[in-house]
Amino acid sequence: MKTLPVLREKKRYIAFKIFSENTINRRELTEELLDSMYSIFGDKGSSEINPSLMSYDGGFGILRCQKDRTSDTRAALACINRVGRGRVSIKVLGISGTVKGAMEKFIQQSIIKDSEPEKD
Amino acid sequence: MSRFNTKFYDFMVHLPDEMDSIINIVSAAKEFGYSGIAALNLKKNLLDKNILDMSKLPEDFSISNAIEVSGKPSKLREEIRKYKDTGDILIARGKDEEIARAAVETERLDIILQPVKFNNVLGKIASDNSIALGFDIGSIIHTKSEDRVQELRIMRTNLMYARKYDLQMVLTCEPYSMYDFRSPREMAALGGLFGMSPKEAVDAMSTVPVDIMRKKSTGYIREGIEII
Repeated sequence: MKTLPVLREKKRYIAFKIFSENTINRRELTEELLDSMYSIFGDKGSSEINPSLMSYDGGFGILRCQKDRTSDTRAALACINRVGRGRVSIKVLGISGTVKGAMEKFIQQSIIKDSEPEKD
Repeated sequence: MSRFNTKFYDFMVHLPDEMDSIINIVSAAKEFGYSGIAALNLKKNLLDKNILDMSKLPEDFSISNAIEVSGKPSKLREEIRKYKDTGDILIARGKDEEIARAAVETERLDIILQPVKFNNVLGKIASDNSIALGFDIGSIIHTKSEDRVQELRIMRTNLMYARKYDLQMVLTCEPYSMYDFRSPREMAALGGLFGMSPKEAVDAMSTVPVDIMRKKSTGYIREGIEII
């Protein structure tokens, strides 16, 4: 059964970009992300943040979290420094209220910006 | 306007001794939103050996020289006095109380980084000597469980003293490679883990580093006196 609209929790979608030495698959990233959250916020905090990896293509991704816990989610993402044996750095591109917004406003813009030749 | 629309600096960057790797690190710093860095031992390790070619680096990116002074208290004092007029940013790591005390007591030190046992006496002296208190965010990123708890506890205590004695604060992620950089917003979020407010975090990465660079400029004599 669906949650009543008035009881539905507000979400935020965090668009991020991964810089990594090796290729990282979705399972590895999810494990590392949850591990980072449990380590910092514990089981209770993680359940309140309610994270969920909505999409990930190897370079860019969208992570869902609770509206009022975006800062904590950023901190958990920033604490990921290794996935498997490779070093990793995650940069948050932006936060949106919808998946579409996160995709169009941040990920597509970032791809366009990366593909542009550098001006002399 | 967002408080993050400003220029950010990281004052504790370790640059490798290969030009390609240096370019990678500088590009990463730019990508993550920094306008400049202070590289540790830039002159001694890279400029004097002609490894660093500044013309290959972006023009709108500043690189300053920072020196990490270390050793026993007597050597530490000697090193600070030796480098105090060079215009380099002087950083001491507060590994223990004795070293931290020697560091904050010596005028012209710029940053005391992550002192382990900071107290009201050190806080007062640091305040009198205008020494900024450094927070190494990298220690949160690169540690886990017990060690991370310890680092967060130290940072929480240091923040308390910084507020009490009105000390300037500096945030660094102490990067050794391009994978160690974190963007200013992430740094502020990590600062929130030990109670630092977003405004304090932004100041610690923008206003305070700019102020330290101003103090290190050639015209500066002391607060309020400057050669124009």
